Amino acid sequence: MGEKIISKINLEDEQDIYVKRGMVRAEFDFWVGIVMDKFYEGLQNKQFIGTKCSKCGKVFLPPRNRCADCFAKAEEFVELPQTGVVKNFTVSNYNVTERRVRKAKEPNMVGLIQIDGADTAMVVPIINTNPDDLKEGMKVKVVWAKNIKGHPNDIAGFEPVGGG
Amino acid sequence: MEKVGIVGYYQLKPELDIMMSPYEAIFTAVRGALDSAGLKRKDITTVVTCTNDYYDGKTISNCFKVEAGGAYMKDETKVELDGAHAAAYGLYRILSGNHKLAMIYGFSTPSCYFYEPVRILELDPTFDRTMSVINPYTTGGMQMRAYMKAFGVNEEDIAKVAVQNYKNCSKNSLALPEAKKPDISVQDVLDSEILSSPLRRLMYPIPCDGATAMILAPERQSLKITDNPVWITGMGQCQETYYLGDRDLSISVSMEKAAEKAYKRAGINDPKSEIDVAEIFGHTSCEELILAEAAHLSEKGKGAILLDSGPALNPSGGAMSAFTPCASGLTRLVEAAKQLRGEADGYQISGAKKAIASGQVGFCAQNNIVFVLEGGG
Repeated sequence: MGEKIISKINLEDEQDIYVKRGMVRAEFDFWVGIVMDKFYEGLQNKQFIGTKCSKCGKVFLPPRNRCADCFAKAEEFVELPQTGVVKNFTVSNYNVTERRVRKAKEPNMVGLIQIDGADTAMVVPIINTNPDDLKEGMKVKVVWAKNIKGHPNDIAGFEPVGGG
Repeated sequence: MEKVGIVGYYQLKPELDIMMSPYEAIFTAVRGALDSAGLKRKDITTVVTCTNDYYDGKTISNCFKVEAGGAYMKDETKVELDGAHAAAYGLYRILSGNHKLAMIYGFSTPSCYFYEPVRILELDPTFDRTMSVINPYTTGGMQMRAYMKAFGVNEEDIAKVAVQNYKNCSKNSLALPEAKKPDISVQDVLDSEILSSPLRRLMYPIPCDGATAMILAPERQSLKITDNPVWITGMGQCQETYYLGDRDLSISVSMEKAAEKAYKRAGINDPKSEIDVAEIFGHTSCEELILAEAAHLSEKGKGAILLDSGPALNPSGGAMSAFTPCASGLTRLVEAAKQLRGEADGYQISGAKKAIASGQVGFCAQNNIVFVLEGGG
């Protein structure tokens, strides 16, 4: 676990304060469920698979198996196109991981992108464009990663349609 | 709703890196709250703790804090949301008729962990966590862009909220020293670095170490303890969907519903004119406006008007004054109670009779909770 007791120096009154530094690590498997399983399978075939509510017909991407409004099953799979619209975006100067906050070398472009035919949007990276060129309503298409593994990281990001 | 009284409280002075162990900090807050009400540990019948396993680096984070929190050999439970939710648990326990005195406390020391990275663990592990683009900065940025676009609000208006908070902090003796900026200008906020566009550094409160404790009692008991209780006359809570892409980030439907429930219970028909003070926990200056508007304190998109007229918005400095995870919402409750008791030394809103206080958890305030408080005397 790599835990140790270390001393931290309190400069103000030159007194050593002992603190315990450790890392909590818990291995865990998340069973993704049939809906996300299908979604990952779609990624493997470079496809977006969403789900449709059996009652109101709302299409979810990322998919989920229940509609919040109807409290009904949303287990009908729908194949969606690879293009969408930027509903919202932000350009971040920081990389935030589970471990650290670090100043980013290049600004990170992040978009709330609604795939055509879906009623919900997902938060994904935007790539191959300049932060200054981003706008809401911009048409984008998915860029697949080089090695497809049936994993969320198969989505390298979204780029403007037409190189933008 | 039967009245429940706030009869005592204590806020530990927040610091970036507090020279106290968790147990000293919690003990100081809990002991301080008891002393403020002239009570003893034996008077407590239930303790509601608000801490977080991830923030504490251990599971069942409350189990190791029993003695410090005054819970030894008593009914005790934990809520892992905001301190304001712990207050709701305390309220339920009092209203159940089973308890005469509830000690509520919220505590965290973000100097011991990385706040923003730990928030990543809040994300859906099957998709969002792997994409690693959602974090408090990017969500704050998108929320601000959505708000500005929907209502044609400019950056200056949002910067003004931050300026007022920093100025208010300078009058609040319990505000984080780093947030006391009496001479800050709108331009200073607009010149601060961009965390995630359009959100800037000075629109985002600094996570700091702290602990806040508050005591609740039933009406009769409250009157025996103090002749100056503050009454909780209404409370409402609402949970929004997790998915940011399902929500309209320019507004907060869950805050609106929570506030409406609280107002209904408290018999408030026109919050704009009836509420004197609003202590709102916004995770950014923009979110503070969105939540204040959702609580019907102003029209949507016009929240900046509260800086000049209407209910006083965050006279304590709001989340900027003490952004302690697990305690922020509880601190808002205590600040609102102080206003109603006339104890807000240096930032007292004269004649304050009714106040609201809010807490929240989740990205872009997924879950909101609102309390209506009234001065008793």
